[in-house]
Amino acid sequence: MHAKGVIRTLLAGTAAIVSAGTASAQTVPGPAGTGAGTTVTNTATASYSVNGVTQSATSNAVSFVVDRKVNLTVIANQQANTQVAIGKANVVTTFKVTNNTNGTQDFLLSANQLPIQNLFAGDNFDLTNLRVFVDSNGNGTYDDGVDKATYINELGADQSAIVFIVGDVPNDQAAALAAVTLIVQVAAGGDPAAQGAPLVPTVGLNDDAVVDVVFADNDSDGLGLDTALNGQGRASAAYEIGTRNVALSVAKSQVVISDPINLLVAPKAIPGAVVQYCLVVTNATVGTAAANVNLTDIVPANTTYQPGTLTIGLPGINPICTLPGSFIANDAGGLITGTTYTGSYDATAKRVTATIPVLLGATSVAASFRVTIN
Amino acid sequence: MITRPMIAAVLVATAAAASAAAGPLQVSSSILVEARSAAADGTTRVTLVKPTKVTPGDKVIFVLAYRNSGAQPLANVVLDNPLPRQIAYRSANPGSPAPDVSVDGKTYGSLATLRVRSPDGSTRAASPNDVTSVRWRLASPLAAGSQGQFAFQAVLK
Repeated sequence: MHAKGVIRTLLAGTAAIVSAGTASAQTVPGPAGTGAGTTVTNTATASYSVNGVTQSATSNAVSFVVDRKVNLTVIANQQANTQVAIGKANVVTTFKVTNNTNGTQDFLLSANQLPIQNLFAGDNFDLTNLRVFVDSNGNGTYDDGVDKATYINELGADQSAIVFIVGDVPNDQAAALAAVTLIVQVAAGGDPAAQGAPLVPTVGLNDDAVVDVVFADNDSDGLGLDTALNGQGRASAAYEIGTRNVALSVAKSQVVISDPINLLVAPKAIPGAVVQYCLVVTNATVGTAAANVNLTDIVPANTTYQPGTLTIGLPGINPICTLPGSFIANDAGGLITGTTYTGSYDATAKRVTATIPVLLGATSVAASFRVTIN
Repeated sequence: MITRPMIAAVLVATAAAASAAAGPLQVSSSILVEARSAAADGTTRVTLVKPTKVTPGDKVIFVLAYRNSGAQPLANVVLDNPLPRQIAYRSANPGSPAPDVSVDGKTYGSLATLRVRSPDGSTRAASPNDVTSVRWRLASPLAAGSQGQFAFQAVLK
């Protein structure tokens, strides 16, 4: 009687284990697989007959604990370089970290600015005040003062988090491109209130009852900076100076060309004299072109614009405003054969306009026009 | 008189001992993994060992060993192994007879003969991932004292 009672209890116990295992596995695991720490239990049953009497038997329940397969994916979550301006603060690159581990993990974040020339050719400056933040409110956009978490806390299996690298662009006119790299380290999860310690792979023999740590991450950059099976992932993005100020300056001068009395010899500014105005625009920023430079000037009172005298070209030395080979604008603003410059005269506003679509760095362009004194 | 602590002590004892007491047919389940090592002749030797580190996607091998410990032959022996839900069936282990498999725990046969009903009512051919249970039948009675084993390969989901 005692023995039978014990057997019954044992069988019931085995059945309980089986059903418990079934119940806990109702949810189909995601791509990361069965959760670490899950106990997988197997029990076989048998039926047979002895002298025509059917009986059954149940095997022992054998089990193992699923170990932690540590993996992660880190990508730059932006298609192009972040366009920034010289001196701008809190410029952002965006990354996405996905937990491919079969368990909830913390992720430790750091950033560096080592140049990666084969990925970001022309990397020539570093940001200052570099920081890394998690998109705490989940809107995918960096919110200064809101997204303050510096590590990813308790990210579930197959879940992703957005991470920002934030920095300031130095006030350096030569700056062009800065690459930054986000380095992500898988850490222990389980404590919502604190940052977990970096995971290390379990060395030595497995204990079936303990969740071992197995690194399964790949080499995320193929450059030798990251290595496979190190519990880390990394991705890079860049800041590009997209708009910058150029040092434009305009110099205006005038010279009397002729007068009705002295003609071309030592002409005086008397009524009927012809006066030439000269505007020279200079882009002093080496290496950066200025686009769509408009030179405008209002014809002075008591003078009359001489039609067809607006000339645009390379500047000469005073009193020559524009060198030979310059282009004469057609006052109506139409295209001028042989150049991209255009010029026009607005008779109503008495305004002269010369347009230079591209003014290269360290170059100058001159525009001249003539008026007669009334 | 058996006190509660004593019962508890027996419960803690290995389940294998309990099944030995249950009847003439002893069934022992074990879970193993393959360990590969380089043999002296340059080939790779595959041995089955207790599971070390098992993570999703790893191959595990389920072994059912049976023995007739009684004095009489046992007829119509059927061994049935419902798969743990975290386990996806792959194939019979080399050297083991192929089991009949089931995708619903009711109908057994070779995988090629089974179909799975989709939520929309259509059916499709069953794949190893659909298998929920495996079963072997012994064609002839198991003589007293004789034993054998079956094994199948699976992966951890």
